Amino acid sequence: MNVSTVQPVFKLELNHKVNPGIVTLAKYDGTHACLTASAGYDKIIIHHPHVGAISGRAQRSENHREISELNLSQAVIALAAGPLRPDTNRDILLIGSPTQILAYDVHDNSDLFFKEAPDGVNVIVAGSFGKYTKTLAIVGGNSSVLGLTWEGNEAFWNVVGGKVTAMITFDFDRDGESELIVGSEDSFIRVLKDNQFVAEIAETGPVVCLSVISDVRFAYGLANGTIGIYEDGVRLWRVKSKQNAISLQWSGEALACCWSNGRVDWRDGSSGRVLRRVQMRASAAAMLLADYRALGTPDLVCVSVRGEVLGYSPTQESSGFNDTTKNPATEEDRLAITELLNKKQALMLELQHYEANAASAVMPDLEDDRPTTAMPTNTRLQVAVVHSLDEGCLNLAISTNNETIVRAALILAEGIFESGETLARHPPLSQIRPILHVPLHPPRDVPVDVHIKALVGYPNSEQYHIFEMTKQLPRFAMYTMNYNATNRINYNSSYVTFQITERLQRICIWANQNFLLENELELNSEDAKEFHVNLTCLRDQSTLDMNFNVDGNVKITTSDMRLAGDLVQSLAVFLNLTDLKSTANFVEAEKKLREEMENASQAGEMRSRLAAETAERAQLITALLPAAQDAASYDLKEMLNRYKEVVMLNEELIAACHVRRATQEHAVASLKTLHTILQQAARLRVGKYSKAVVSASRNAVKENNVEALIKIIQVGESL
Amino acid sequence: MLKILCQQSEKDVAGIIIVYYRVMDYDMCRIDYFISGITYPDTLKILPSQGQKLEQKVVVGDKTGVLQCLTIRDEEPVIQFKTLPGKPITAVQLTSTNGTQPDKIFAASGNEVKGYTKKGKVFFSIETALSEPVTSILYVSRCVFGGDLILCSGRTITFYRDSKEHQSYVCKDRVLDMAAFITPNNAKVRLLLLIAHKGAGILENGHLVAHIAISSGPSRLATPPVAQVAEIKCFYGAADGSVGIITYEETTLSNNCLVEGRGLGSVVCLGWFYSNANLHLAVGRNDGSVQLYLIDVENLHLKPRLKFTYFSGEPVTSVVGGCVGTDEGELLVATFSGRIFALRSKFLIAGSVTKASHENLAARRSKLEIEIVRLEKQTANEREKYQRNSRSLQAGLSTPPLLDIEHKMSGATREGWQEVDITLAVPLDMLFIYCSKKLKLLTDSAAVLSVCSSQDSASDLLATVRCQAGTRRIWLRLRVASTNSTVLESTRVLIYALPTGAPRVARLLSIKLPALPYYSQHEEFDENNDHSIKSWCQLHVTGGFSVAEMTFWLSDILPGDLPRPASNVAFLRVHSLLGTKLYCQYQRGSAVFKSNNISTVSSVRSIISNCSIDKRIRVEISCDIPDDCCLKSFKLIENIISIAYEKKNQVTLAKALDLLELDTKAINAEKPVLCKEYYTVLKNSESEILQSNFDELIEIVVQWYLDWRSLSVNGNNTVDQSNKLCALLKDYKLDDVTKVLSELTEFNHTCE
Repeated sequence: MNVSTVQPVFKLELNHKVNPGIVTLAKYDGTHACLTASAGYDKIIIHHPHVGAISGRAQRSENHREISELNLSQAVIALAAGPLRPDTNRDILLIGSPTQILAYDVHDNSDLFFKEAPDGVNVIVAGSFGKYTKTLAIVGGNSSVLGLTWEGNEAFWNVVGGKVTAMITFDFDRDGESELIVGSEDSFIRVLKDNQFVAEIAETGPVVCLSVISDVRFAYGLANGTIGIYEDGVRLWRVKSKQNAISLQWSGEALACCWSNGRVDWRDGSSGRVLRRVQMRASAAAMLLADYRALGTPDLVCVSVRGEVLGYSPTQESSGFNDTTKNPATEEDRLAITELLNKKQALMLELQHYEANAASAVMPDLEDDRPTTAMPTNTRLQVAVVHSLDEGCLNLAISTNNETIVRAALILAEGIFESGETLARHPPLSQIRPILHVPLHPPRDVPVDVHIKALVGYPNSEQYHIFEMTKQLPRFAMYTMNYNATNRINYNSSYVTFQITERLQRICIWANQNFLLENELELNSEDAKEFHVNLTCLRDQSTLDMNFNVDGNVKITTSDMRLAGDLVQSLAVFLNLTDLKSTANFVEAEKKLREEMENASQAGEMRSRLAAETAERAQLITALLPAAQDAASYDLKEMLNRYKEVVMLNEELIAACHVRRATQEHAVASLKTLHTILQQAARLRVGKYSKAVVSASRNAVKENNVEALIKIIQVGESL
Repeated sequence: MLKILCQQSEKDVAGIIIVYYRVMDYDMCRIDYFISGITYPDTLKILPSQGQKLEQKVVVGDKTGVLQCLTIRDEEPVIQFKTLPGKPITAVQLTSTNGTQPDKIFAASGNEVKGYTKKGKVFFSIETALSEPVTSILYVSRCVFGGDLILCSGRTITFYRDSKEHQSYVCKDRVLDMAAFITPNNAKVRLLLLIAHKGAGILENGHLVAHIAISSGPSRLATPPVAQVAEIKCFYGAADGSVGIITYEETTLSNNCLVEGRGLGSVVCLGWFYSNANLHLAVGRNDGSVQLYLIDVENLHLKPRLKFTYFSGEPVTSVVGGCVGTDEGELLVATFSGRIFALRSKFLIAGSVTKASHENLAARRSKLEIEIVRLEKQTANEREKYQRNSRSLQAGLSTPPLLDIEHKMSGATREGWQEVDITLAVPLDMLFIYCSKKLKLLTDSAAVLSVCSSQDSASDLLATVRCQAGTRRIWLRLRVASTNSTVLESTRVLIYALPTGAPRVARLLSIKLPALPYYSQHEEFDENNDHSIKSWCQLHVTGGFSVAEMTFWLSDILPGDLPRPASNVAFLRVHSLLGTKLYCQYQRGSAVFKSNNISTVSSVRSIISNCSIDKRIRVEISCDIPDDCCLKSFKLIENIISIAYEKKNQVTLAKALDLLELDTKAINAEKPVLCKEYYTVLKNSESEILQSNFDELIEIVVQWYLDWRSLSVNGNNTVDQSNKLCALLKDYKLDDVTKVLSELTEFNHTCE
């Protein structure tokens, strides 16, 4: 476990603070890379060591000769660059502000387009995927992704379950065509192909970064400090740290990971083992791959929040103190010996442990002089998961098979606890028993691996044995079977129906795999006419009815549209369905949709009215201010009065600003709910029908056609 | 099913185990020699070379009671002799019986001391009849001088002459280390003692002739090998990580701190190391670092220069220099878990490597590899046997040995944080912490702390700390998170330590957070000389309790070790934040507590009364509270308050300045944009985290007033006045506060 440090190949100071994450590299002249970063609220700095000063809107910085500053009137949320224009290979700078996106040609000092993004801007990438051969500006909003051509026209649009936090283009299914990988705040990594989500990977926290490694692998980082690599949709490894990953890059045959505290480590691609590491002097702002030395190979460029830039070459010539050039073999042998002795020490310790067992195996089992570390050798641990309808949770029952007690239990799982990554139970002395119950509340329907560590011993023990186990909870573990016949009548009028051609036996297998059932479900007879499942959700006691007819007609009755969508998707994956058309009726969702559409249109009106007012006041201020300054030369009283007016106007402006902000937040929230409903509607269908829902609803939203939207939810198309 | 799961590597493999070098002037690298059992501090020694041979022997004693003597040939250990296992060896000392070079080895295990020749023959053995039972021999250090054998166990120092007890002396507290010096004119022995809780003293003829309190808390001594016989000069390493020198000249002891302990782990061991005819002090710390300081032999009081630092990743227990592997000097290091390795200069390695030695190294490596394969096989066999057992019907009893874990608790510093330092021999995977009260927790930045949701009662704390790979030492900072500032009982915290690999057992550590964690500093006290004590608040307790009971009750109140029960116990503790004092004096049936902090007296009163009720012992408690106690105490801490207030303002300012987002130009340019004061604040806030305990101090003062009301008059309508006081304090009107405090006390007078 030897980790070496690395020496940078270049180092420079920007003399500007840099906002974390909002950094990009662009070749504005088509050949030379320029580091571009957001410095402060509305300022963009462009570092151009190889090119002369940038003319036009950008101004030469006072702090640094090789830096130009670009001032915008709005906050800079995201930066990206790419050769958007088909007629030139120059990179166009894409600037995302909270509600707008600007494409600016730095070299020509011209705007390509300026576009409103009502759903907000969180991430921008420039890239092409699928059938789009030209480079697009892909914008990730609060609940949608939007593709724009170089002229600012919409190329595609789709809804995403949560706020988009990271995007890459990557050939996920190895068909020679790239797909768009979208990481979102609702802890999913989704794959968009041909404007349709073809795969969905559940993660344990908001996805903060994604990075392409090779044609089959990509790396991801989560807000809870996890980083890992997927290969062909299967996770190779993951590690969790206390810090958040700012950026991941593949450099020098290793995954370089830049952590928010300024640490950079290089990890082995197949195991995640740390190979090298460095620590920057300040928190990290970004890490990019760029040929900044103009050598032909990209270096790893790390930027700290204080504006320090460090470059690391991908090929590590062995440098620094671990200089092994003189006697490589001896040095290696010595390291190996240290490592071997480590191993020996661990093995000897384990042996010692077993020896102590053997020695004491014959000891009489007397209650009084039992050693404080004792435990019967044939102790076993059993773990069961049962539904608890009354408490509305899953109960994990951990028990031993003899008089030993379960002193404490630690449950390690991700994404299912309110706080942290562990749940612990440590009953008071009076309540310790050979059995311990731990309640679990998985908040969403995804399969969860639960690791259990139980400490087993006697009540007065000083040392407990650790029993470890892993239990997998199926996707729909929070639904319990209703065996009681009286509950079978379901008054719920919300449902989705569709037609499949599959034997009921297969459906039965699907249900057994995806639900946590006390007894395996079985068909009554070989030629049963229908297969009926009635369940209750532990979260809100709502009922879920699934009816499968032998003629292929399926009806899922639940008031939760999201659940219905999950079930449809799960079935579609299990049965390998490429397309599925369905009819749905979700009264509540429809009602909500009407409300939100109303809200959204109101918010739009409100916003334009407020914007007009603000502009008016701002104009007044610009007129009053010089007037007040003028007055200073002849009449102090007049000046005071005028300044008072300015102050008053300013206060009004601020108040109006607050109102605008509130409206904006409201509008964003409405839009998000709206998108969520549409996404759920899309998930009730599979394949081309799902796609049809998205494109139809996009049009309906544009036209503000509520009835069409409801029609789309119900039958999957507006016609 | 006993299942040993191969855990998915889900933790950050990056760890403290990384071996990295911070090159100062020296460049040294690690050469691993061998493994012993768990070692206690300073149990590794190097025997001086004999005659023509330069090669020196290494002696090490471990927890299993095995003392082994080895030589190193081609980096391979060759055992000279090895004793049978027994009680843990807690001290090893080299000595000469004929006045020349040390050639005899003394090793102490339990209360037994044995002398070995360098051939491994026992020539001397003594079963000490120390009055204290074996349990009290927590720490045995021993020196041999002439025909006298001096042992110290716990608080006692015993002199043996001709295997017979000759003289003994009992110190106030545990003796941590000692060094012996011969007086110039006669052959009398002077002992320099380090006594627990920040004391050092000179023992001569069974009398403590000089004493000094050293605030850094010295824990280990090293006599420079160059010192004149006439001088008493000795280096020490302290618990706070600092290094200094103690001098005894003309009946006065003096202390000189040479290296500040800033952020470094506490010193576990010291040693001497010669390199290029320069003398170096080697320092081993519990954070796993080994440092070499260059000492000026002409003037020992000069600040030593740091030359080299190495991080071994686990606590270091011994450091000693010698020519073990080659003809040149190298530094031999032993760690807590029993790794013995050398730090050898890179330059030497490069020069000394020949083809033959290279081959030897390769041979050694392959030999080890074979051994590991064998061990792995054996372990696999045993593991299978163990698991088979778990399936058998006949229940045997599995009793694995206790994990080797040591933990140390320190007194509170600011805001009531108390630190637990946990050291263990195996890598740690997790800590699980349980407390029936809500606690605030902090831990190492390398570990992930996760506070779980509460159990049914919602008032408890359940937390896990997931450690990085290879963690063998971790600290936790704990604090009771209670809304009211006075805690009236101690808090028990259970910590389960779960190691990474086999054996799959979790050791339980139980620690107690005392009610008054601040009173951690000890001070010498002479009742006759200090007149101010007469005006302090006093608490008299009488009843049918024993000294042991009172000691037990006080363990709920005060941090750290209390004096062992004796017929009459008296000691003084000092509040580490405020500097207020608590004097305790008790004997069978009566106890007196005096303090210039009224809240302290109030807490002691409540806790003792609670404890006595629990034990069903009738006690009578009476207080004697002077009227001006609040005012006096306030005057005492006025200075502390003003510093805290200044700090608080700076924090506010720094926050505001930070919001300005001044770019580097504004801060660094020749033409300063900020005024000097702001500039300094901004600079300071960048370099250190500014914190102020002003609010905490206000609470303390208000509490004083409230306690004074409740203890001296049965107070009513205290809310108005305490609010008024609080408001004045918040506005930093100290003069008004003084006025109010004196007025209130006068007002009280008139009421009476």
